[in-house]
Amino acid sequence: MDGMSRSIEREIRVEASPEVVYEVVSSPEHLREWWPDDADLEPVAGATGTVSFGDTLVVALTVVEADPPRRFSFRWDYEGEVATAANSLLVTFDLIPSDGGTLLRFAETGYDEAAKPDEVYHDHVSGWDYFLPRLAPYVDRLAARP
Amino acid sequence: MIDDELWSAIGDPTRRRMLDLLLAGSGGTATSLSDQLPVTRQAVAKHLAVLDRVGLVHSTPSGRERRYTVDEAQLARAVAQMASVSEAWDGRLQRIKRIAETIQRNRTN
Repeated sequence: MDGMSRSIEREIRVEASPEVVYEVVSSPEHLREWWPDDADLEPVAGATGTVSFGDTLVVALTVVEADPPRRFSFRWDYEGEVATAANSLLVTFDLIPSDGGTLLRFAETGYDEAAKPDEVYHDHVSGWDYFLPRLAPYVDRLAARP
Repeated sequence: MIDDELWSAIGDPTRRRMLDLLLAGSGGTATSLSDQLPVTRQAVAKHLAVLDRVGLVHSTPSGRERRYTVDEAQLARAVAQMASVSEAWDGRLQRIKRIAETIQRNRTN
Protein backbone atom coordinates (compact mmCIF):
# COMPACT_ATOMS: atom_id res chain seq x y z
CA MET A 1 0.00 0.00 0.00
CA ASP A 2 1.36 3.42 -0.78
CA GLY A 3 -0.35 5.45 1.89
CA MET A 4 -3.56 7.33 2.33
CA SER A 5 -2.92 10.46 0.41
CA ARG A 6 -5.62 13.02 0.27
CA SER A 7 -6.19 16.69 0.60
CA ILE A 8 -9.10 18.53 2.14
CA GLU A 9 -9.00 22.30 2.26
CA ARG A 10 -11.54 24.66 3.73
CA GLU A 11 -11.81 28.31 4.67
CA ILE A 12 -14.41 29.70 7.04
CA ARG A 13 -14.93 33.04 8.72
CA VAL A 14 -15.33 33.06 12.48
CA GLU A 15 -16.69 36.07 14.38
CA ALA A 16 -14.13 35.74 17.15
CA SER A 17 -10.55 36.88 17.64
CA PRO A 18 -7.68 34.65 16.47
CA GLU A 19 -6.75 34.20 20.16
CA VAL A 20 -10.16 32.69 20.92
CA VAL A 21 -10.18 30.51 17.80
CA TYR A 22 -6.69 29.28 18.63
CA GLU A 23 -7.88 28.18 22.07
CA VAL A 24 -10.78 26.30 20.53
CA VAL A 25 -8.72 24.42 17.95
CA SER A 26 -5.83 23.54 20.27
CA SER A 27 -6.89 23.06 23.89
CA PRO A 28 -8.00 19.58 24.98
CA GLU A 29 -11.15 20.80 26.73
CA HIS A 30 -12.36 22.50 23.55
CA LEU A 31 -11.19 19.67 21.29
CA ARG A 32 -13.61 17.42 23.16
CA GLU A 33 -16.43 19.78 22.28
CA TRP A 34 -15.93 19.65 18.54
CA TRP A 35 -14.17 16.39 17.75
CA PRO A 36 -13.24 13.36 19.87
CA ASP A 37 -14.94 12.07 22.98
CA ASP A 38 -11.71 12.57 24.82
CA ALA A 39 -8.39 14.28 24.13
CA ASP A 40 -5.13 13.80 25.97
CA LEU A 41 -2.81 16.37 24.57
CA GLU A 42 -0.55 19.24 25.45
CA PRO A 43 -0.75 21.91 22.77
CA VAL A 44 2.99 22.45 22.40
CA ALA A 45 5.19 21.56 19.43
CA GLY A 46 6.55 18.02 19.59
CA ALA A 47 4.08 16.83 22.24
CA THR A 48 2.45 13.49 21.63
CA GLY A 49 -1.03 12.59 22.78
CA THR A 50 -4.21 10.85 21.78
CA VAL A 51 -7.76 11.51 20.74
CA SER A 52 -10.30 8.84 21.69
CA PHE A 53 -13.61 7.91 20.18
CA GLY A 54 -15.84 5.80 22.38
CA ASP A 55 -14.13 3.29 24.64
CA THR A 56 -12.15 1.43 22.04
CA LEU A 57 -10.74 3.74 19.37
CA VAL A 58 -7.66 5.63 20.52
CA VAL A 59 -5.75 7.51 17.86
CA ALA A 60 -2.21 8.86 18.18
CA LEU A 61 -1.50 12.49 17.56
CA THR A 62 1.69 14.60 17.53
CA VAL A 63 1.69 18.39 17.65
CA VAL A 64 3.81 19.80 14.81
CA GLU A 65 3.43 23.55 15.24
CA ALA A 66 1.91 25.51 18.11
CA ASP A 67 2.23 29.19 17.28
CA PRO A 68 -0.58 31.12 18.98
CA PRO A 69 -2.60 32.79 17.66
CA ARG A 70 -1.46 32.07 14.11
CA ARG A 71 -1.07 28.39 13.48
CA PHE A 72 -1.77 25.03 15.09
CA SER A 73 -0.91 21.84 13.26
CA PHE A 74 -0.63 18.18 14.12
CA ARG A 75 -0.10 14.76 12.60
CA TRP A 76 -2.50 11.99 13.41
CA ASP A 77 -3.83 8.63 12.38
CA TYR A 78 -0.49 6.77 12.37
CA GLU A 79 0.77 3.47 13.63
CA GLY A 80 4.08 3.14 15.41
CA GLU A 81 5.92 5.44 17.77
CA VAL A 82 6.75 8.40 15.60
CA ALA A 83 4.54 10.39 13.23
CA THR A 84 6.23 11.07 9.92
CA ALA A 85 5.21 12.53 6.59
CA ALA A 86 5.02 8.97 5.27
CA ASN A 87 2.69 7.45 7.86
CA SER A 88 0.29 10.13 9.00
CA LEU A 89 -2.16 12.83 8.01
CA LEU A 90 -1.19 16.46 8.59
CA VAL A 91 -3.91 18.78 9.89
CA THR A 92 -3.21 22.51 9.82
CA PHE A 93 -5.28 25.40 11.17
CA ASP A 94 -4.11 28.81 9.97
CA LEU A 95 -5.73 31.82 11.65
CA ILE A 96 -5.73 35.11 9.79
CA PRO A 97 -7.08 38.28 11.48
CA SER A 98 -9.87 39.74 9.38
CA ASP A 99 -12.17 42.69 10.23
CA GLY A 100 -12.24 41.99 13.94
CA GLY A 101 -12.81 38.29 13.33
CA THR A 102 -10.76 35.41 12.02
CA LEU A 103 -10.36 33.70 8.71
CA LEU A 104 -9.82 30.05 9.58
CA ARG A 105 -7.97 28.06 6.93
CA PHE A 106 -8.11 24.35 7.42
CA ALA A 107 -6.18 21.67 5.56
CA GLU A 108 -5.80 17.95 6.00
CA THR A 109 -3.23 16.39 3.71
CA GLY A 110 -1.91 12.91 3.23
CA TYR A 111 1.72 12.09 2.71
CA ASP A 112 1.53 12.44 -1.03
CA GLU A 113 0.70 16.11 -1.00
CA ALA A 114 2.83 16.80 2.05
CA ALA A 115 5.90 15.10 0.66
CA LYS A 116 5.70 16.51 -2.83
CA PRO A 117 5.06 20.27 -2.67
CA ASP A 118 6.38 20.67 -6.22
CA GLU A 119 3.78 18.27 -7.58
CA VAL A 120 2.91 19.60 -11.01
CA TYR A 121 -0.82 19.42 -10.53
CA HIS A 122 -0.87 20.32 -6.87
CA ASP A 123 -2.51 23.71 -7.32
CA HIS A 124 -5.16 22.61 -9.73
CA VAL A 125 -5.92 18.99 -9.30
CA SER A 126 -5.12 17.87 -5.79
CA GLY A 127 -8.03 19.71 -4.19
CA TRP A 128 -11.25 17.79 -4.06
CA ASP A 129 -13.10 21.05 -4.42
CA TYR A 130 -11.72 21.12 -7.93
CA PHE A 131 -12.00 17.48 -8.71
CA LEU A 132 -15.39 16.55 -7.34
CA PRO A 133 -17.45 18.92 -9.52
CA ARG A 134 -15.74 17.59 -12.61
CA LEU A 135 -16.94 14.08 -12.03
CA ALA A 136 -20.51 14.82 -13.02
CA PRO A 137 -22.95 13.12 -13.17
CA TYR A 138 -21.88 10.64 -10.49
CA VAL A 139 -21.09 13.36 -8.03
CA ASP A 140 -24.34 15.20 -8.67
CA ARG A 141 -26.11 12.08 -7.58
CA LEU A 142 -23.97 11.85 -4.44
CA ALA A 143 -24.29 15.53 -3.65
CA ALA A 144 -28.08 15.24 -3.85
CA ARG A 145 -28.05 13.06 -0.77
CA PRO A 146 -29.11 14.85 2.42
CA MET B 1 -15.29 2.73 6.52
CA ILE B 2 -12.48 3.76 4.24
CA ASP B 3 -11.10 1.22 1.81
CA ASP B 4 -7.37 1.95 2.14
CA GLU B 5 -6.33 0.71 -1.26
CA LEU B 6 -9.10 2.48 -3.09
CA TRP B 7 -8.34 5.57 -1.05
CA SER B 8 -4.67 5.66 -1.95
CA ALA B 9 -5.39 4.84 -5.58
CA ILE B 10 -7.59 7.87 -6.02
CA GLY B 11 -5.59 10.02 -3.59
CA ASP B 12 -2.72 10.57 -6.01
CA PRO B 13 -3.01 13.79 -8.05
CA THR B 14 -1.59 12.25 -11.23
CA ARG B 15 -4.01 9.34 -11.06
CA ARG B 16 -6.91 11.71 -10.49
CA ARG B 17 -5.83 13.67 -13.56
CA MET B 18 -5.68 10.40 -15.50
CA LEU B 19 -9.21 9.49 -14.44
CA ASP B 20 -10.29 12.93 -15.49
CA LEU B 21 -8.76 12.46 -18.95
CA LEU B 22 -10.22 8.96 -19.31
CA LEU B 23 -13.68 10.28 -18.45
CA ALA B 24 -13.35 13.22 -20.83
CA GLY B 25 -12.04 11.12 -23.69
CA SER B 26 -14.22 8.06 -23.10
CA GLY B 27 -11.16 5.98 -22.39
CA GLY B 28 -7.55 5.94 -23.53
CA THR B 29 -4.26 4.06 -23.71
CA ALA B 30 -1.00 4.53 -21.78
CA THR B 31 0.34 6.29 -24.85
CA SER B 32 -2.60 8.65 -25.32
CA LEU B 33 -2.53 9.54 -21.62
CA SER B 34 1.22 10.17 -21.52
CA ASP B 35 0.78 12.51 -24.50
CA GLN B 36 -1.47 14.65 -22.33
CA LEU B 37 0.53 14.47 -19.10
CA PRO B 38 4.02 15.57 -18.07
CA VAL B 39 4.95 12.01 -17.13
CA THR B 40 6.44 9.13 -19.11
CA ARG B 41 4.40 6.39 -20.71
CA GLN B 42 6.06 4.00 -18.28
CA ALA B 43 4.88 6.04 -15.27
CA VAL B 44 1.38 6.19 -16.75
CA ALA B 45 1.40 2.40 -17.17
CA LYS B 46 2.29 1.99 -13.48
CA HIS B 47 -0.50 4.33 -12.43
CA LEU B 48 -2.94 2.46 -14.67
CA ALA B 49 -1.95 -0.79 -12.98
CA VAL B 50 -2.79 0.72 -9.59
CA LEU B 51 -6.16 1.93 -10.84
CA ASP B 52 -6.83 -1.44 -12.45
CA ARG B 53 -6.00 -3.33 -9.23
CA VAL B 54 -8.67 -1.48 -7.25
CA GLY B 55 -11.22 -1.74 -10.05
CA LEU B 56 -11.33 1.93 -11.00
CA VAL B 57 -10.47 1.15 -14.63
CA HIS B 58 -10.94 -1.84 -16.91
CA SER B 59 -8.91 -2.61 -20.01
CA THR B 60 -9.45 -4.30 -23.34
CA PRO B 61 -6.82 -5.09 -26.00
CA SER B 62 -6.46 -2.36 -28.61
CA GLY B 63 -3.84 -3.07 -31.26
CA ARG B 64 -0.50 -3.41 -29.50
CA GLU B 65 -1.78 -1.61 -26.42
CA ARG B 66 -4.65 -1.85 -23.97
CA ARG B 67 -7.47 0.60 -23.93
CA TYR B 68 -8.63 1.70 -20.47
CA THR B 69 -12.05 2.94 -19.42
CA VAL B 70 -13.28 4.16 -16.04
CA ASP B 71 -15.53 1.95 -13.92
CA GLU B 72 -18.10 4.58 -13.03
CA ALA B 73 -19.69 2.64 -10.18
CA GLN B 74 -16.35 2.06 -8.49
CA LEU B 75 -15.39 5.69 -9.01
CA ALA B 76 -18.64 6.82 -7.43
CA ARG B 77 -17.85 4.60 -4.47
CA ALA B 78 -14.38 6.12 -4.06
CA VAL B 79 -15.73 9.63 -4.38
CA ALA B 80 -18.42 8.90 -1.79
CA GLN B 81 -15.72 7.80 0.68
CA MET B 82 -13.75 10.98 0.06
CA ALA B 83 -16.88 13.08 0.39
CA SER B 84 -17.83 11.55 3.72
CA VAL B 85 -14.43 12.42 5.19
CA SER B 86 -14.77 15.98 3.88
CA GLU B 87 -18.25 16.26 5.35
CA ALA B 88 -16.98 15.10 8.73
CA TRP B 89 -14.48 17.97 8.73
CA ASP B 90 -17.15 20.41 7.61
CA GLY B 91 -19.15 19.44 10.68
CA ARG B 92 -16.15 19.86 12.97
CA LEU B 93 -15.31 23.27 11.51
CA GLN B 94 -18.90 24.44 12.04
CA ARG B 95 -18.63 23.36 15.67
CA ILE B 96 -15.32 25.22 16.06
CA LYS B 97 -16.98 28.33 14.65
CA ARG B 98 -19.96 28.05 16.99
CA ILE B 99 -17.84 27.43 20.11
CA ALA B 100 -15.41 30.29 19.34
CA GLU B 101 -18.22 32.75 18.59
CA THR B 102 -20.02 31.85 21.82
CA ILE B 103 -16.83 32.42 23.84
CA GLN B 104 -16.24 35.73 22.07
CA ARG B 105 -19.80 36.94 22.75
CA ASN B 106 -19.53 36.02 26.43
CA ARG B 107 -16.25 37.92 26.72
CA THR B 108 -17.45 41.09 25.04
CA ASN B 109 -20.83 41.27 26.78
